[in-house]
Amino acid sequence: MEFHEHQQSLFSRPGVGLGDRAPRMEDDRLLTGRGRYVADIRRAGAVEVAFLRSQLAHAEIKSIDCEAARALPGVIGVFTAEDLDDVAAVPDFPDPDLARPVGTFPLCRGRVRYVGAPLAAVVAVDRYVAEDAVELLYADLEPLPVLASIDDALAPDAPRLYEDWPDNRLVDVRLEEDKDEAFDRLRTVSGSYYMQRHGAVPMEPRGTVASYEEDRLTVWTSTQFPHIARTMLHYVLGIAEGDIRVVAPDVGGGFGIKAQVYPEDYVVAWLARRLERPVRWIDDRYEHMVSAAQARDVRIDLEAAVHDNGEIEALRACVYHDVGSGEVFPNGFNPDFVAVASLTGQYRIPRQQSGVIAVVTNKTPAGAYRGFGLPESCFAMERLVDRIAQELGIDRVELRRRLTIREDELPYVTATGSELDSGSHLAALESVAERGAAVLAELRAQETSADIRYGLGYATYVEGVAPTYFGTTGHWTSQDACDIRFDPDGGVTVAVGISAYGQSVSTMVATVTAHELGVPLEDVRVVMGDTDRAPYGLGAWGSRSTIVASGAIHRAAVELRAKGARIAAHLLEAAPEDIEFADGRLHVAGTPNASVSWSDIAHAALIRIHDLPDGVEPGLETKATYAPPGIQHVPREDGRMNACPTYTNASHSVVVRVDLGTGDVHVARYIVAHDCGRVLNANIVDGQIQGGVAQGIGGTLYEEFAYDDAAQPLATSFMDYLIPTASEIGPMEIVHFESPAPGLPWGAKGAGEAGIIGPAPAIATAVEDALSEFGIDEIVATPITPRSILGALRSARELGAVS
Amino acid sequence: MTAMPADVVPVRIVVNGEPVEASAPARKLLVDFLREDLGLTGTHAGCEHGVCGACTVLIDGRPARSCITLAAQLDGNDIVTVEGLSPGGELTPMQEAFKQCHALQCGFCTPGFITTLAGVDPDDYPDDAAIRELLSGNLCRCTGYEHIVKAVRLAWGRQETPGEHAL
Repeated sequence: MEFHEHQQSLFSRPGVGLGDRAPRMEDDRLLTGRGRYVADIRRAGAVEVAFLRSQLAHAEIKSIDCEAARALPGVIGVFTAEDLDDVAAVPDFPDPDLARPVGTFPLCRGRVRYVGAPLAAVVAVDRYVAEDAVELLYADLEPLPVLASIDDALAPDAPRLYEDWPDNRLVDVRLEEDKDEAFDRLRTVSGSYYMQRHGAVPMEPRGTVASYEEDRLTVWTSTQFPHIARTMLHYVLGIAEGDIRVVAPDVGGGFGIKAQVYPEDYVVAWLARRLERPVRWIDDRYEHMVSAAQARDVRIDLEAAVHDNGEIEALRACVYHDVGSGEVFPNGFNPDFVAVASLTGQYRIPRQQSGVIAVVTNKTPAGAYRGFGLPESCFAMERLVDRIAQELGIDRVELRRRLTIREDELPYVTATGSELDSGSHLAALESVAERGAAVLAELRAQETSADIRYGLGYATYVEGVAPTYFGTTGHWTSQDACDIRFDPDGGVTVAVGISAYGQSVSTMVATVTAHELGVPLEDVRVVMGDTDRAPYGLGAWGSRSTIVASGAIHRAAVELRAKGARIAAHLLEAAPEDIEFADGRLHVAGTPNASVSWSDIAHAALIRIHDLPDGVEPGLETKATYAPPGIQHVPREDGRMNACPTYTNASHSVVVRVDLGTGDVHVARYIVAHDCGRVLNANIVDGQIQGGVAQGIGGTLYEEFAYDDAAQPLATSFMDYLIPTASEIGPMEIVHFESPAPGLPWGAKGAGEAGIIGPAPAIATAVEDALSEFGIDEIVATPITPRSILGALRSARELGAVS
Repeated sequence: MTAMPADVVPVRIVVNGEPVEASAPARKLLVDFLREDLGLTGTHAGCEHGVCGACTVLIDGRPARSCITLAAQLDGNDIVTVEGLSPGGELTPMQEAFKQCHALQCGFCTPGFITTLAGVDPDDYPDDAAIRELLSGNLCRCTGYEHIVKAVRLAWGRQETPGEHAL
């Protein structure tokens, strides 16, 4: 079968077998309970924080009565915004012409704008007492009118969240009124597609521990970007960056929500300095569900000018996004621009007109979540493609085949400026289509119940990886760094500016370093997530870690190998150009017995410098930075922009099982053909894809941060917010294609987000396929719930589509 | 007026084979007692309402949620945490299978899975559907469960090689 053959050929090919499916360096600690997460950080004399959070979605703060709480035995202090009068507003970096400044403070001043907004911090001897004291606080809140949806926020007479704004539009990039001429000439197909609010919800919630000792602030926090967190603490607290150390210990999942700096992080750090003792805050799940950034809640209106053969000549798109209150850094609107830039996916669509309208409402602030605009855009675009297929009577796969750019068209510049450098777009589509059809036939043949229907669906996309951060933050851009040092015993310590939250990056960094230097993997130690020990880097987001770290390590290793070769040549009385690297040693080519170890080299460089050749400096260490090539940080004059150095591509197919009696949709089989260039460790890439697919299935079928009309959150526990379990997630199949990124040192593209992008459109069209006999073809929103399926079946029956 | 912190009660249990005689406030959760009083931080609090399973420990050999158990409820019980499953640092066959199959990523939920699996009889879970049903009491947000199912199969001798992906 083609899948087996492809998989086998991939791993038997020379040069790919870097780590293959090698186990991770991280695992022994984590498996035996020796992980060290932020809640495991113990400091002598530490006190605990609990926050009073707003129970109203929108209100004016009249007063907060702290008397009773302060009097409770065990309470060390109660602090409100009045006490935090020496902090600066969290900076709003983006160009004010693009996004209106929010100017938020760590504890609410004047108004609360969402349920869960922090009003006061209680410090007590332990969390139990701190929570008792929170119960004794009384906040006098004067309710204000509430905005609970995009439509609420855009209503002409809508109340405003920010009084100095003329409306509720955080971002307002209007779609040009003059339509592309193709819309006059060609058939128009349109749709409006909504993806509900959901989010990352990692198993480890958030937490920050801080101490202030010897005039230095140390902050342990569950973050994806310790250096950026340090810089933000500097801006808000006014402490020099050199006097702040931020440490990300083991991080129990992030998926974007920990690439945010939150009010609590500033408050806990401020308290440690104020109280001059260690302060600890670990959120509980309820707090997490109302205070950690949420995502999606996006509607995309699309219109395509389509030729009779299905080819799309022009696209018009407007993205509407409910970003909640907007009171978090980075603000949640940037996924909308990623969505706009990625709508065309792997399809040949010459022209696009776009608008983005991001509105503030009285919900928890929106931020990053794996996929970052791509799941939303893929859902909208792939649903539109299905609609075109249906209107023109073209098979869904055949239409995608026609639209997909061919290998001979690469490199291909998309309508918005993305430069697709390489990929296996058509081959990936063909493979999942073929495999999906086979699985569908197999499952249908086995089924005996009359109430069960199976359906097959597809999705394709490209994922820009290692993007500039300028669009998101308006501040940081794209580089990262490494610092490689040899020890005299030949061991190597590599410190990197990226960060880890479970994506196996320690193993990746060690694997790349070992291969670059020709040293055994077990001789490499990895340092990251500590601003005192690692060079300034931007952390882990945007599927960037492998690209930026391997780029920096490659540059450093070139220098170290050259120096090693000079020293080896001197010790072995050979020419530097004759030195080869293998098995942890430096050999003279063609002379099998003439070799020295890296330890010999390090001894000469660090201990016996009189062994060095003339002109070679002591020391065996180097630093390097790396900025991925070929990207723009701001749009070019023509309005287009290539934000990423390369683009991962994938096609998904899914077979769903729909129960006509209950409306239940079950993912029976999920199939991914994935191309992230060179695969460094297939186990790890598979794990990233599988985890992303599971989150995508959750976001399509089960998960929703629902709010009522008063913007009260309805999903604040795992009883209401349904993370899929092992029973909901069916077996997955993955096949890897490898189209190396031509401009990157290792040819590897990112793999962190690809899994989550395809499930929503693939499942939606699969459900329609399963229910085709009922004429159900209007799934334009997620989540797809039993209730929505039963409702559609009932409507279909009422319309007489079936008796 | 909120009630004051309740009385301190004695806690006499055996933890990972060692007798423990201590006292704790009556309202103290077992997860907090294990983590704060005994320093056993391998047991994680993921939801504090008994759903996610990250805090799973064995009480008298059976998996239990330490985030909805009070330390004061225990009297003479035998508690095993993830630290107690591999006291010498050697991985158990299940831990080794998790490692070989890349069945963990961030590792936060992992002790709960490992502990749950240590407290069940494989014969009660004869096929993949039963394994998935068993695992559905523990939430994992990183792996998508595929590799966890594979690891359980491997540890229970239901599949030969970890490197093969079930295509």
